[in-house]
Amino acid sequence: MRNILSVPLAAVALFGSAAAYSQETIKIGLVQPLTGSVAYNGQADLNGSKLAVEERNKAGGVLGKKVELVVEDGQCKPANSVNATEKLIQKDKVVALSGAFCSSATAAIMPVAERYKMPLITGVSSKADLTEKGNKYFFRAAETDALLSRAFAKILANDLKLKSVAYVGVNDDWGRGGVEEFSNDLSAAGVKTAAKEYFDHGVTDFYTLLTKVRASGADAIFVAAETQDGSILVKQIKELGLKMRVFGVGSWATPDFIKLAGPAAEGIYAAVPYVSTYESPRNVEFVKNYTAAYKEPPGKYGNAGYNALNIMMDAIARAGSTDSEKIREALHKTDYNAPNGNYKFTDKGQAYGFSLVLVQIKDQSPKVVASTSVDAPK
Amino acid sequence: MDLFLQFLVNGLVTGSFYALSALGLTLIFGLMRVVNFAHGEMYMLGGILGWFVTARLGLDFFSGLVAVAVIMATFGWLVDRVLIERVRDQGEEPGILLTIGLSIFLANTALLLVGTAPQKIEGPVGNQLVMLGPIVTTELRLFAVATCALLILAAHLVVRKTKLGSAMRATFQDPMAARLAGIKIERVYASTFALGCTLAALAGMLLGSIYSAQVSIGGLISLKAFVVVILGGMGSFAGAILGGLILGVAESMWGGYVSTGLVDIVGFSIVIATLLFKPYGLFSTRSERA
Amino acid sequence: MKLERNTIFAFLLIAAVFPLVVSDQYILHIGILVLFYAVLATSLNLVMGYVGEFSLGHTAFLGIGAYAAAILSLRLGLPMWATVPLAGVIAAGFGVVIGGITLRLQGPFFVIVTLAFAEVLRLVANNWVSLTNGPMGLAGVLQPAVMADASNLFGKQLYFYIALGIAAVALYLSYRFVYSGVGRAAVTVRENRYVAQSVGIFPFAYAMRAFVLGSFLAGMAGGFYAHYISFVGSEVFTFSFMATMIIMVLVGGKGTLIGPLVGALLITLLEEYLREAKELRLSIFGLIVMAIVLFLPRGLMGFLASRRELRTEVQESTQAGLAAVAPAAQGGKA
Repeated sequence: MRNILSVPLAAVALFGSAAAYSQETIKIGLVQPLTGSVAYNGQADLNGSKLAVEERNKAGGVLGKKVELVVEDGQCKPANSVNATEKLIQKDKVVALSGAFCSSATAAIMPVAERYKMPLITGVSSKADLTEKGNKYFFRAAETDALLSRAFAKILANDLKLKSVAYVGVNDDWGRGGVEEFSNDLSAAGVKTAAKEYFDHGVTDFYTLLTKVRASGADAIFVAAETQDGSILVKQIKELGLKMRVFGVGSWATPDFIKLAGPAAEGIYAAVPYVSTYESPRNVEFVKNYTAAYKEPPGKYGNAGYNALNIMMDAIARAGSTDSEKIREALHKTDYNAPNGNYKFTDKGQAYGFSLVLVQIKDQSPKVVASTSVDAPK
Repeated sequence: MDLFLQFLVNGLVTGSFYALSALGLTLIFGLMRVVNFAHGEMYMLGGILGWFVTARLGLDFFSGLVAVAVIMATFGWLVDRVLIERVRDQGEEPGILLTIGLSIFLANTALLLVGTAPQKIEGPVGNQLVMLGPIVTTELRLFAVATCALLILAAHLVVRKTKLGSAMRATFQDPMAARLAGIKIERVYASTFALGCTLAALAGMLLGSIYSAQVSIGGLISLKAFVVVILGGMGSFAGAILGGLILGVAESMWGGYVSTGLVDIVGFSIVIATLLFKPYGLFSTRSERA
Repeated sequence: MKLERNTIFAFLLIAAVFPLVVSDQYILHIGILVLFYAVLATSLNLVMGYVGEFSLGHTAFLGIGAYAAAILSLRLGLPMWATVPLAGVIAAGFGVVIGGITLRLQGPFFVIVTLAFAEVLRLVANNWVSLTNGPMGLAGVLQPAVMADASNLFGKQLYFYIALGIAAVALYLSYRFVYSGVGRAAVTVRENRYVAQSVGIFPFAYAMRAFVLGSFLAGMAGGFYAHYISFVGSEVFTFSFMATMIIMVLVGGKGTLIGPLVGALLITLLEEYLREAKELRLSIFGLIVMAIVLFLPRGLMGFLASRRELRTEVQESTQAGLAAVAPAAQGGKA
């Protein structure tokens, strides 16, 4: 039974690889969660990536050829993302990869990319140790939780005059990381840690958690959550009549979040690497194009996908070929002007130089309160 | 003491929501012995349909509830007649598989059609704070609890007082005898399944107005509903209500005094303990092992 | 019995030759997945087909094996040939405990309690950060030392043969179990619990043996997974793995030894093929599951077996008919 099937399969693969050599497009692989619980954000990343590719193709493509985005669903799961990556590299013969959104999935595909010498960029995964693994082919065009908290801890402590903070995070590697980093940096700035609570992703009723927060006597609450959980949490904070200041990280300043949270979103602070109301000429243009294509302004993940693809396409153009070593060297020479500032990479592949903003939601729109740029980590 | 009371009230509120969600499953799992893994998806469809009829079609909340009830009853009826009927006499395994396949299909098709973003359903009353002594809750939640109670009462009356209800009870006691007595048991099965789906969908719409309507919520709801049904004893409404309340309060207490991160473990530990020591539920009179 | 044994040998032989013929790494990767799932499906088949109970918690053993191998590899530095068997043994230990508790129940109760156990383990894995690294997962599980400087192709081939080795062990153990006295007793229990008891077979003891063997095999598969994917997180305990396993056993046909192999092959290929359909993929998958339940309830192997039975029945009744006619023609007794 098996040899009957393996022959046509082998034929398809051989045919596929032969076709690749005569391809008229440059293929870049994208591994994102398109189904599952973070599909909402993965879709945004995909939208941003597609926009970048479309713009580039309209301007003539890369190395005289059109760029083709080959998309696979990694579901934010390590095993599925590895599967998707294997297929993209082996079957679709992509020249570069962008993925895989969740830090755990990215950590799983990094060794695969390294084995096949495939340049891999992520615009999202924020776990600090990803760039410490010594993977030469991995580049992170995003902030880490550590950089975010270091950038804003002082500002938050002073501007908001915080005395004690209750930390709430979603119970996964990102949520825990965010809570740890911010509580460390804020404690160093003299702010007391009143409580640390975690909730499982998908929980809809936060009353118990919020009751504990209220009992802790904190005067502010820090939240590490994404749109789905965060909007419900914020609504319930208002419902319970908690008078604390709320600030958080995650996809907070996005139009969807504001729509879902409704009036409860008023006055919330968010520390984000991107907000659509950021006033730079590049961003104004980006927002216009994105809104025209997708009928809503871009958020953090749309921007992340857009930047990741642009950086990769720039590098391929700069390298003058699709050879992976040349692309890798070209990536290190990146000096990319993004909607949210400038991106350069350190030797370890960590991006720096771009802006982070602190926004406050007023009148259903995020207003930039403070901004800073990410310094190169030491 | 205040803290304890607040946790208790929180638990009772979420507990009544659990009870309502599980009510439909009590009928389907408890009476029909169909392990319906698509139960969570029926709940989800209720939420999504509720959003659709209120936000897109412009109906108000109560008309929306009625519309959702009608649509889901029809859908449930069809699912039973077309799908479940075929595997009914083959033991419970095919039923499990069929409903697993159905749940995968429904969840992902809904994802395609609606998208991943959580949707808002406008509730009929606002979210204003209501203070019961030192305890905080909202108008909408109290309304939801009241509606739960009403729906449970209505379902109970249907099963106890109507002809359909008697037919149901007869069929589940002894299908062969019921058939001999002239009851069309295919119709009874379909009606029971339809009623179960409708209850789940109404719960989904009601709770969607408090939290939000999300496509991916089905799996968790199914699991929690199974916990409640097993706790309460299969087929017993009173058991489902008590089971739901116990689960809600237990989770609230655990989350409040131990840790909020591991809350789901409460439900599963309860299930394991119940099945070991009181497999027919906490409130049964039968003492034989499962 | 002969047919099963010969088919299994043929399968293993073809698989042994496979990497020598195919050098596309993606296809080898698919092949490795097929073997991995074949082991899992075989282990689940022992519980479902030979104990006769529907276990929704079988991922528990996959997960325990994966975490055990990862922890042994990362914390103690043990190589793969040690961690995989140890993973199997540790999972079997858990199998004794969990089986001891759950096998006292039947029907839908067994279903739910096994599911509850899998969920409890998932939550523990996600929260016991000091042991399992919680949601951050265990990364960088060691690869076999011989792979260090070799090519990617060699690495894939090596993993393929390792998977094949584990599959061969799994099939051998299952085969010996099923055709032993223990196995036959287990089948008796599955067919009719009360009759089995009346002839002196303790259902519980035999169910336990099938269950523990199943958990051992699943644990080894989990250990393999940990090394191949090199990352273990709490998602190994989720329902999606379970659903895939169940579908494989059912498509192939439970209660047969070849069934899980057929199921693993078909479903793995189907999942990869359906990738092309992108967003529709999972919806189509759900539809296919329903179609199989409705139209092919005994799985493919069951379908083929019933065709064979039908043919044998027709033959036998024809012969009986002829035999009845002949003596009657002679006026003799039957």
